[in-house]
Amino acid sequence: MSVLRPLDKLPKLNTATILLVSTEDALLQQLADSMLREDCASQLNVHLAKSLPLPSNVTRPRIDLIVFVVNLHSKYSLQNVEESLRHVDASFFLGKVCFLATGAGQESRCSIHHNTVVTLAHTYRSPLLFCDLKMEDFRVTMAQRLVRMLQICAGHTPGISALSLLSLLQSPESPSLEDL
Amino acid sequence: MEKQPTDSEGEGEEGGQPQEANKEDHMTLLLRLRAQTKQQLLEYKSMVDANEEKTPEQIMQEEQIKAKIEGLENEVEEAKTAFEMKNLALDRMQLSAALKNNLEKIDTKTSLLMDDMKHVLELNKLIMTSQQESWDLEEKLLDIRKKRLPELKQASESKLLEIQTEKNKQKDDLDNMENSDKIKAIRQNLQREIQITTVIQNVFQNLLLGSKANWAENPALKKTVLQLEKNLTMI
Repeated sequence: MSVLRPLDKLPKLNTATILLVSTEDALLQQLADSMLREDCASQLNVHLAKSLPLPSNVTRPRIDLIVFVVNLHSKYSLQNVEESLRHVDASFFLGKVCFLATGAGQESRCSIHHNTVVTLAHTYRSPLLFCDLKMEDFRVTMAQRLVRMLQICAGHTPGISALSLLSLLQSPESPSLEDL
Repeated sequence: MEKQPTDSEGEGEEGGQPQEANKEDHMTLLLRLRAQTKQQLLEYKSMVDANEEKTPEQIMQEEQIKAKIEGLENEVEEAKTAFEMKNLALDRMQLSAALKNNLEKIDTKTSLLMDDMKHVLELNKLIMTSQQESWDLEEKLLDIRKKRLPELKQASESKLLEIQTEKNKQKDDLDNMENSDKIKAIRQNLQREIQITTVIQNVFQNLLLGSKANWAENPALKKTVLQLEKNLTMI
């Protein structure tokens, strides 16, 4: 299974699976914990991966949402995300992928420009979220948000599909990005 | 590529049902599950539909691929022909090289090849001489023709002149004949005779009319009378 495809397996009853991809292990673990602590009617599965492709010898449930976490302080994390994106099927980008940029708060330590991530997310037509994962409050909020998104992607919210999440692309500040 | 699919253990907290679940809770859970399943089914259905449809892009791609295949086949053919040509050239070069080596090795005087070559040269000389001969003959033929051409011209001109003069002569003869005195006399005679005859006719007619005979009854007489009506000058 070199390329990750959405909807290639049958869903488990009342279960939603999210895949967090990043080189930042510690941050991912914290984020996963925050997500699991969220109050949610569905059963949550959080998978962590350093990079794609995932090894094929492991059986795993259907993955409903992939979150690529980019640490703006490390160029390697961006490079890793770019490499991993090649192993994702195109139909995943119909709302089931989102980018999460962390570390934008400490601008002095940023080695990646803000615009680079914006362009990356726009190239893949996927929403981009900014959050400083080191801050407890921000992380909890982000976890909440991700859980909501995951529920939509897993089809646990009747009437709304993952495609609706593409509305996150529309940003009032930079409408020109949509026109690009 | 090392990764750890750390399956989380969120089940106990979030997904697990509270212990005091009564019937109502089960009911809501079932209802929610029903809605979820419906939604998921819808997603799968739309996915299947989307995959079944052939987008114009795909059709275009197929056409492009076909065109590409044709282009590539053409290229392969071209490469094949180029390879053949090069092969032939190489063969020729090898052959000439082998010949050269062979010639260097073999004694020139006794070699069969040299004899053949000499023979070929002799034949070539023969061919050349015969060709020269044929050229000379052709030249001679041309000269003769050139010479004969003006002669022929002169002859035809003189013949033409003769014919012309002959024609003129005939014409003159005819003119002379018409204008001769004999013809004139004959014509005058004829004129006079016609006049005389006319007068006789008129006289005879008047005689017949004056006799008041019914000439119409007698066929012979009738014929004569009608004959008298002819105008002799019109003959």
